Amino acid sequence: MSQSAPIVRGADASAPASLLPGPFPVGVYAGRLRAQLRGFTRVQLTGEVSGVSRSRVRIYFELRDAQGAIQCSMWRDDFDALGVPLADGLEVVVGGGCDYYAGNSTSSPSFHFAVSELRIAGEGDLLAELERRRRRLHADGLFEPQKRLPRPSLPQTIGVVCGEHSKARDDVLAGLRRRGWQGRLVWAFAPVQDRRAAPAIAAALRELSACGEIEVVIVARGGGSLADLFAFCDEALCRTVALLRVPVISSVGHHTDRTLIDDVAAVCCSTPTHAAEVAVPIDVTAAAARLAADARRLRDHGHRALVVRARTLATLSRAPSQQLDRQRRRLHQLTRELRAGSRRQLQRSDTAVGGAARSLARVGLRGTGSDAGARRRDLERLTLALGAHDPQRTLARGYALVTDRDGLALGSADAARAAGSLRLRFGDGAVDAEVQDE
Amino acid sequence: MSVEQPDASARTYESAVARVEEIIRRLDSGDAGLRETLDLVAEGRELVEYCAGELEAVSKGLEELRLDELVTRLEAR
Repeated sequence: MSQSAPIVRGADASAPASLLPGPFPVGVYAGRLRAQLRGFTRVQLTGEVSGVSRSRVRIYFELRDAQGAIQCSMWRDDFDALGVPLADGLEVVVGGGCDYYAGNSTSSPSFHFAVSELRIAGEGDLLAELERRRRRLHADGLFEPQKRLPRPSLPQTIGVVCGEHSKARDDVLAGLRRRGWQGRLVWAFAPVQDRRAAPAIAAALRELSACGEIEVVIVARGGGSLADLFAFCDEALCRTVALLRVPVISSVGHHTDRTLIDDVAAVCCSTPTHAAEVAVPIDVTAAAARLAADARRLRDHGHRALVVRARTLATLSRAPSQQLDRQRRRLHQLTRELRAGSRRQLQRSDTAVGGAARSLARVGLRGTGSDAGARRRDLERLTLALGAHDPQRTLARGYALVTDRDGLALGSADAARAAGSLRLRFGDGAVDAEVQDE
Repeated sequence: MSVEQPDASARTYESAVARVEEIIRRLDSGDAGLRETLDLVAEGRELVEYCAGELEAVSKGLEELRLDELVTRLEAR
């Protein structure tokens, strides 16, 4: 404030004296402030339009981004001449400078950025802004936290943020079906087509993460212009995603689009179908088949380990008896061979003895003389003596031999009585008889 | 070969499947003795049961619900 400004001094000697300049009349100060602000360099600003309102002569709106906001106004005639469909959420570039309405005793003062130029932000503007935001997030280390989170290979509960009737929803379901996944799917529908959807998307993500049961989250939206997808470049949304404890898989736009959420997410996918497959990296159907095969192989190994060894043991346990059988059979064979050999040897010996006897007989016959005659006579005598003792000759003379029916000789009448049944043997045969004794 | 017993609390489906395949390779080699074979088969069966449970949990039929429905359920517990 210039030292030449008018000064009104009070006369209250009791108040403590201030060392600051003034006091100045507020209107004077407000006028000087307006002049000062108008002296600022005129610039272009870019940001998202919010809170559009219209008076008879002016258009009012706020220009916002994640770091700040500024109130803007534009003369209604100038705005109407542009023909721009200004709406909340629109990214615009405005040109102008600072201004200040000083107000008066009946109206309030206000600061605003006086807009003299306005255009919808082009792709170049958006890309430039996107790059600035990307650098800030990167500098804050927010690209890494999500990528460090462990992701389950078989999540049981998956959260999905998408439009309620969007094709992205169908694509996510198709990807999960392709995996054979049939777990719990929690839909958090958000107006992802709305350029101001970022707060709603961030809120949905926070709620999904807070549930505790959600193991991975998919954020899906179909294609669109960079301006259409700019909600997914919202810095506040991306900072939210980066700090979530649940891994987020993004699939926003086509594969050529690269939004800021793709940078901070755990994984960035080109399509919602691909995002679903990344959320469930295991093909459940194939995994079940492979597991069944592994189970069969384990069972077979266990079976072989026991049964094969048991058979070996059984074979070994049978070995002693088999050895005994073999030895027994061999012994029998040897015995048979021995007997056969003995018979053959005896036959050979008999033959030899017979031959020798015949030779001796021949020799004996040739041996004539007194010795031979005497021997012959002795032999005849002995024959006669033996004949005299032959029972048959006695029987032939009329005697009978009494025996019982079993052939036992009975030498007395008592024995005959005791036997009862008798057999009387005569010289020419035998008859049976019964004892009749009183 | 020593039979490792991984910490069950740190087990994941993929780690369990990897261990089962390692066990089968060892058994296929024919180098394992009876005791080791029985131990490996027992460990493998336990892992297979765990994996089957994990697969079963995501094979019971797709359940779809909205976030607010899930929140209501959780609050009712």
